[in-house]
Amino acid sequence: MNKYSIRVKVNKEWRTAEVTATETLLDTLRNKWRAVEVKNGCAQGDCGACSVLLQGRPVNACLVLSVQANEKEVTTVKGIGTRENPHPLQTAFVEQGAVQCGYCTPGMIVSSAALLAQNPNPSQAEISEAISGNLCRCTGYAKIFRAVADAARKTKPADRRQ
Amino acid sequence: MENTEYLKPSDIKELLLLMAENKDRATVIAGGTNLIPEMRNGVRRPQVLVDVSDLQELTGIRLDKDRLTIGAATTIAAIAASPVIREHVPILSKATGELGNPLTRNRATIGGNLANASPCADTAPPLLALEATVHIADAGGKERTVPMDKFFMGYKLTRLGRGDVMTRITLSLPYRKVKGGHTKLGLRKAASICVASVALMLLKENGHIAKVRIAFGSVAPQPIRAYALEALLEGKTISDALLSECNALLKREIAPISDIRGTESYRQAAAGAILRRNLLQAWS
Amino acid sequence: MADVIYSQAETHTTPDTASKGGYNHIGKPRPRHDAWSKVLGNTVYAADYIVPGMLYAKVLRSEHAAAQIRSIDTSAAGEMPGVVAVMTAKDVPNNETVTKFGQTHTVGGFEGLYRVLADKKVRFKGEAVAIVAAETLELATAALQAIKVDYEPLEGVFDPVAAMKPGAYPVGEEESNLICSYKVRKGDVEKGFAAADVIVENTYRVQSVDHAYIEPEAGVAWLDDEGVITIRAATQVIEHFRGIADVLGLPQNKVRVIAPMLGGGFGGKEDITVETYLALLVQKTGRPVSLTFTREESILAHSKRHPYLMHYKTGATRDGKLVAMEAELISDAGAYVYLSPWVLLYSTVNATGPYDITHVKVDTHTVLTNNIFTSANRGFGANQPCFAYECQLDELAQKLGLSPLAIRKKNYLHTGDSLATGRVLENAVETEATAEKVVAALGEPAPPRHAGEKIGQGIASCMSPYGRMCFLHDTSRSYVSVDLDGSVSVRCGVQDLGGGQASSLAQIAAEALGVYMEDVTVFHGDSALTPLAGTTTATRQLYMSGNATLKAAATVRRNLLEKAGRMLGMNPAFLDIRDRKVFIQPERKPWMVVEKENRECTISYGGDRGDIIVSEICGNNDPDTVIPLTDVVKAAAADGIELYCVAQFNAPARELLDFKTGQGQVWPDLTFGTIGMEVAVDTETGMIDVLKIISCFDVGQAINPLSAEGQMEGGAIYGLGYGLCEDVVINKGVTMTPSLAEYLIPTAKDVPEVQSIMIESGGGIGPFGAKGIGEPATVPAAPALANAVTAAIGVRVHALPLTPDRILKALGKI
Repeated sequence: MNKYSIRVKVNKEWRTAEVTATETLLDTLRNKWRAVEVKNGCAQGDCGACSVLLQGRPVNACLVLSVQANEKEVTTVKGIGTRENPHPLQTAFVEQGAVQCGYCTPGMIVSSAALLAQNPNPSQAEISEAISGNLCRCTGYAKIFRAVADAARKTKPADRRQ
Repeated sequence: MENTEYLKPSDIKELLLLMAENKDRATVIAGGTNLIPEMRNGVRRPQVLVDVSDLQELTGIRLDKDRLTIGAATTIAAIAASPVIREHVPILSKATGELGNPLTRNRATIGGNLANASPCADTAPPLLALEATVHIADAGGKERTVPMDKFFMGYKLTRLGRGDVMTRITLSLPYRKVKGGHTKLGLRKAASICVASVALMLLKENGHIAKVRIAFGSVAPQPIRAYALEALLEGKTISDALLSECNALLKREIAPISDIRGTESYRQAAAGAILRRNLLQAWS
Repeated sequence: MADVIYSQAETHTTPDTASKGGYNHIGKPRPRHDAWSKVLGNTVYAADYIVPGMLYAKVLRSEHAAAQIRSIDTSAAGEMPGVVAVMTAKDVPNNETVTKFGQTHTVGGFEGLYRVLADKKVRFKGEAVAIVAAETLELATAALQAIKVDYEPLEGVFDPVAAMKPGAYPVGEEESNLICSYKVRKGDVEKGFAAADVIVENTYRVQSVDHAYIEPEAGVAWLDDEGVITIRAATQVIEHFRGIADVLGLPQNKVRVIAPMLGGGFGGKEDITVETYLALLVQKTGRPVSLTFTREESILAHSKRHPYLMHYKTGATRDGKLVAMEAELISDAGAYVYLSPWVLLYSTVNATGPYDITHVKVDTHTVLTNNIFTSANRGFGANQPCFAYECQLDELAQKLGLSPLAIRKKNYLHTGDSLATGRVLENAVETEATAEKVVAALGEPAPPRHAGEKIGQGIASCMSPYGRMCFLHDTSRSYVSVDLDGSVSVRCGVQDLGGGQASSLAQIAAEALGVYMEDVTVFHGDSALTPLAGTTTATRQLYMSGNATLKAAATVRRNLLEKAGRMLGMNPAFLDIRDRKVFIQPERKPWMVVEKENRECTISYGGDRGDIIVSEICGNNDPDTVIPLTDVVKAAAADGIELYCVAQFNAPARELLDFKTGQGQVWPDLTFGTIGMEVAVDTETGMIDVLKIISCFDVGQAINPLSAEGQMEGGAIYGLGYGLCEDVVINKGVTMTPSLAEYLIPTAKDVPEVQSIMIESGGGIGPFGAKGIGEPATVPAAPALANAVTAAIGVRVHALPLTPDRILKALGKI
């Protein structure tokens, strides 16, 4: 069995693993690096529950081979904010009631954070476009729209981060 | 998966060497948005994966006078966001913006979309209407070009042979006066496999259609140019009568099927409607 | 004297337990107590849990929808290195149990066969035939491929109408595929139709849909130190421990089920999914085992919403009054009974909708087929008839020249009216108000954006029950305690699917005990360690566990105030707790300062006069006395006063409906509401843009308005999918929409911002007058869409979903 040594910077920390050529970043994150905040909803890019930032861009971790992530940077929702220093999106999601079952939430926050990093003042159309790859079954998206708009309003230029 | 091998060439020379060495066993992977699900389902079992996703020489959008070059490994997102593309070939900008969803667009590539050769390939109709050219390097390093309308050979079949690598897509910018049109129909507003699509480029001169190129997606085993329609329209003036003739001819031009996304008769009617709409828009 | 904690047939807990100064938490948009953990990615869902040394399980599923199993050879699989167990039907201690589905008590109604692994015959494509456990997932997958099953394909039957006919292919072990039938009879429909000025008759067809929760089914199980099989799984019903124990041949207290936070349920995790497989493999191997369904497996093999064929004939007089309704409903139960009899009962009683109809004749049937089995899905059988009766009403309105609102107002049931089943609606019925608000909010339709686009608005009303069927004698228990530092623990079996079921209990306990929401921790979902609260289904948790929690908290509150009263030498009835402080109720305080020597005085309260003796109220205390709650708690604890209570709340208990006449009370109460939509239909492509969605429901009292709105908004979109784009296409038992690429649910770009309007009548029987909203919120969505589309294009499609194909066909364009 061909195995490849990879090194990926996950939330600013280098992680290593031995992977096969066909192992996906989703499986390596969850099973080898215990980054279970990255969820498996469909494993083929249809639901967005596994959204992570790869080199700053939001992608489905299930559609990246781990070998392709070698020497690259990955950010999960845990790299977006912490309890002590939450991203304005995280605060907004909590305060606006945009979290119900929470299963889509890590991916939603990753996609919205990527949006706000490059478009600090998005319109409703731009918000719905940015999260159109993240399926939610609980909220009907209504409070998610509101939370993203709220976070955009509350993010001062100096606070902006990826 | 079985014992798949992974190779990552660092430049195009190394790529071609690896392709030569592994010719029959090599599968090129870029974004993997089609290939990875196929591997997961066991539909494809590549022996050797050759990763081109980070190859600088295969990535990028360059405009040289009136010649536009898009690296085969350029992501769909990069094309959709490119001001050059938006300004000069807006139908390609629009089509790439409607492919998949923002997450898949950050990985999917134009080369991958064409190589996958789905009848629904979102980039194909605009590239056909723009009369683009596909550049292919074979395992021996020899380069050849294939016009877009000769690239697809049938259902999921292209001119790409074993050991071939698509390097770039080029096209000549249309004249300023040329108007384009594009519509993709899907069963929801994002992340939707195309049910029927049309892309066209129309040059109106002296009150006549001087030149028109029309392409369809999802209404035949492969993305197609509608040559008979083009022949019917060229030299003419848009009128209700002409549009009716188009609609009648369309029944012979396209061969949609019935599947879970739509019936044959729906696709026929919908293709007719979006053709008409885009013709009228480009004409006005 | 302590209140009797347990009382029969109580239906309502009064809000005597809350602060007199207005609610502190109830009705406030508090952040859910589980929200931070979720946004930080810290919540551990079923598939996120690992136990060291755990094995990985996979399920081998039938390739055929109907087949005889001639043999199964697992020898090769069993010998593979790293494969620890391979099991088929013969290895299951009790592979077949007859169970009263959905029951938590052994009362009432139908039984159905629960078969763990297929034995001799398979009934649906995807039916579990064998299970394996191996050291890695790859090995388990390889083991599946090494199992050889010799199938002899059989004919099968895939249409319920065909399956009902005598001589049809028998799906199960009986000759007849008919599971059960119900009827409702009120008056004489022939007389009614004879009196009608207009009659509308149609056949409606609705499709199979998937719950499509973003979290697929998953669980991890292990054997604990005492030999108890512990299953931590995404389930809506921890009480399945009983059924699982039966299968394993174990005493019920040797199986423990824990429900972590779920990534959505919607009824799809109400039946057993992974739990029995896990338990069997743990029992067999002695090792921990993990099982997660792939999305394809979830779509293939977990329950679906019942497809229905509905024939409706409705008659009205010229003024719009409904005088006769005749309906026949046939539902596809799929391959196994599961909850089909109950879903059918809901449809039967809901068949008329929230309307007064003079003469009613309803006949309903549910039939086995070789399709995937159907069971609970949000709405539980209220959705399908709602589509039919709301379309019928709009058609009648059109024929009579009445507006959709006008014809509904002519017929809405109000408080005190009866359903066709004789049940009197004794609580708040605000349907009319909800419809008026929706129509007002819809406003003027937008102008079309291009030629070929037509705009239309439509509304649909519904009634939808909350609380389980009364003949199930439903109960719920909750434990509330205050610790020495004033922090509060709630222990309750409530399963939290994401609707805030656990957080609501924190809000209720915080209100009753006068603490902050952050002071409350809810331990939930453990069949061994938390009092059983019953299923999270049937829109019952807020009503049941909410009331149980309130009841338990009320007792603790009473004990605390009694102690505080003794500490202050005052009547506890004059005391209150709020924000962790015990104080004298403001309205009891004198408006004017009174000399303390003068024991008789007159005190004015905003103009009223009353002769009150100050000392009786205040003792020797300053009216502004405040005691920290923790002081009272510590003093009470020192006295050995019980600062905890486990309370059971009982829903009203009734007998089973009289099936000969369809008369009786089925549910404790119902929720009423309306959804309105505005759509733009492209008449050349058949594409539908949804421009506006307004939802208005009487929620009784919103415990947490963010949560109540969240249910209304989410429910509207869940139902929009049902109307617009969701369809589990099954062709001769074969699912043609195997993944989320083919099975389409609405994305963020498919929805407008839902506007939710709450009416709070206070007339619910839940805590503080709350009504249930989870399921009702979705029931009228697809019908509203259908009515809006019809208004736009002038013709009606009598089926769902409203695909572009169907639109163009209805317009005569194809």
